[in-house]
Amino acid sequence: MSTTVVPPAPLSRRVLPYVMLSPAVLVTLAIVFLPMVQAVWMSLHDYVLFRPKDFAFVGLKNFIAVFQDPVFWVSLQHTAIWIAVTVPAQMLLGLATALLLNQNFPWRGLARALVIIPWALPSVVIALMWVWIYDANFGVLNDFLLRMNLISTSIPWLANPDTALYAIILTLTWQGFPFFAVMILAGLQAIPASYYEAAAIDGASSFRQFWHITLPGLSGVLMTATLLRLIWVANSIDVIFIMTGGGPGYSTYTLPLYALVEARTGLDYGYGSALAVVFTILLLGFVVLYLRRAGRNIA
Amino acid sequence: MKTITRTSGLAAALLASTVLFAGTAIGQEVNFWYHFDNADNPMSDLVAKFEAANPGITINAENVPWNSYYDQLYTSIVADNGPDVAMVKMTAQPRLIEMGALEPIDDRLAGWAGKADIQDDLFNLTAAADGTHYYLPVQYVILYLYYRADLFADAGLTPPTTCDEFRSAAVALTKDTNGDGQIDQYGFGFRGGKGGHDHWASFTVSRDGVGFGPGELTSAAGVAGTQFVLGLFQKDKVFPPSAPNDGFKEVIGAFQGGTTAMTIHHIGSSADMVKALGDKVSAVPVPECGGGHWTAFGDESTAVFSAAEDKDAAWKWTAFLSSEGNNAKFNEATGQLPVTKSDTANWTLHDKRFVDATTASLPFAHLYPNVSETADFTNTVWPIAMQRALIGEITAEEMNAEIDALFNK
Repeated sequence: MSTTVVPPAPLSRRVLPYVMLSPAVLVTLAIVFLPMVQAVWMSLHDYVLFRPKDFAFVGLKNFIAVFQDPVFWVSLQHTAIWIAVTVPAQMLLGLATALLLNQNFPWRGLARALVIIPWALPSVVIALMWVWIYDANFGVLNDFLLRMNLISTSIPWLANPDTALYAIILTLTWQGFPFFAVMILAGLQAIPASYYEAAAIDGASSFRQFWHITLPGLSGVLMTATLLRLIWVANSIDVIFIMTGGGPGYSTYTLPLYALVEARTGLDYGYGSALAVVFTILLLGFVVLYLRRAGRNIA
Repeated sequence: MKTITRTSGLAAALLASTVLFAGTAIGQEVNFWYHFDNADNPMSDLVAKFEAANPGITINAENVPWNSYYDQLYTSIVADNGPDVAMVKMTAQPRLIEMGALEPIDDRLAGWAGKADIQDDLFNLTAAADGTHYYLPVQYVILYLYYRADLFADAGLTPPTTCDEFRSAAVALTKDTNGDGQIDQYGFGFRGGKGGHDHWASFTVSRDGVGFGPGELTSAAGVAGTQFVLGLFQKDKVFPPSAPNDGFKEVIGAFQGGTTAMTIHHIGSSADMVKALGDKVSAVPVPECGGGHWTAFGDESTAVFSAAEDKDAAWKWTAFLSSEGNNAKFNEATGQLPVTKSDTANWTLHDKRFVDATTASLPFAHLYPNVSETADFTNTVWPIAMQRALIGEITAEEMNAEIDALFNK
């Protein structure tokens, strides 16, 4: 009886996978991690761009200033509303759309294609389009509401501090719901039809079928899609920036927008970076919590 | 023998082309940043004319969008990737000097034949606080009051000369014109968003004893100025309700579309105003308020940057743009006024009533303080404070105190 001894793989074979992976890793390090480290480094310094020679280490001064800054707290509050309203609204609208698109009806393929349009449009186009829809003088929304006698005078949706944030949330909901619709539609099609047949034979109502088959079947998709959207929505500033630039006053300031305005317009990169770092930590805590939950549920 | 000749000939040609290539590539390129709204951009014609007259110099002209022009400029300078020459305003000058980004041009100006042709006042206005020249003026405007001549005539009004007359006219012209119970015409289009500080300043900084010095804005007269603006919006309701967010596009659009009867802007928009409204639009100097008169001087110059690789080439291009003929061509595109005496004498682009309103405003046209804080005032502090005051989050006193604190900390 002879035993075959497997010779150890040559060094080149063992190194090869790392060599093949290294370009991707290096690029990720250079364009993701390096700027992150740089942002943390800048947040510990007084760094105003038009005084590039003054780069004094100030420790946690910027962070202390952040927590004493009333605009930070206003922005944080707006960010919480921004996420808490937009993501569930997008999900519910997406779920309803997906259930609808999963039915059999003529021109279903066309309807499925059309529904993706808001998602496919560039944010800049969407923002400009909705600015005109909301316009107080010429906007179609005011015109429609006036004709329906629902309001008596035009409402300056984006110039009124009580409505500006919610007007933008509606825009973002409209933009983002197709993502949920498409993801959920894919999830729906993965649920075997035999489950529904068996449930129908057992006499389960449509609602029972939805509650006990559809929703559990979709939980994985919903978790992933919600998590993704949560991060995107939290970071999304393009639509706000174009529609109001954060105004009127601080009415539509969210944390990422505040960090952008401080750094890019105010040229205070030290303070702007501190805001960005604080926001990243807040979001990171949330993401970790959510990932753990999602992992447990899926398992 | 033949082979040797051919080889050496080839080598010589290669060498010559290398030298030629190196000659054009090193230092003979000028990167120029500018901002034009006009779609009929004549910059390529000007570049072609310059390059034909100055062989060996290549101009890379880049039209940078206005909204982020200064954000881009400052960050590119710090990243050592900035332009060699750029269009710049006085509000940016103190900050650019502080960054060490500008090249003084006094010596070059002294030896430049075109200097005598530039309007004298403009040189004084664009000098730095210490008298050094970094900027070469390229165009200018002065803000005045646009009004709808037809609406004023119908209402039996004359164009306002004081703040009181202005207010009465604005109130009279705010009305429901089609009888549906909705106000559809407003007295004045106020720019509450970025860039609207000129509107506010004409009503506030004009007042006797009010400026940007310590305690001037927080004085009774200073607060009265801001309160006047707030009263027009909150009590008289003579601005469109969207005023807190309105920028250039909205204000000009509303005036051209007949939603507003007055607004403040400069001759740069007069051609489009006439295109939209014909003889119905006219202009007068902004009203006198609280015993004084103030309007904004809108300057635009070109500057050579200290990081420019070939400063001689950069200066040649700068001087070219402010020379007779070229300056006229430049201003035909921007719709503003030429800085050369010769081009001014032959200027026919604008209707006379707008040129007259500009000239009549010259004696009280001012620049903002020549300090670094002015950039923050225009970009962030004023727009946010004005919007918050308009929507009632802060009072006139608080708004003026914020601006006073910025300039006099």
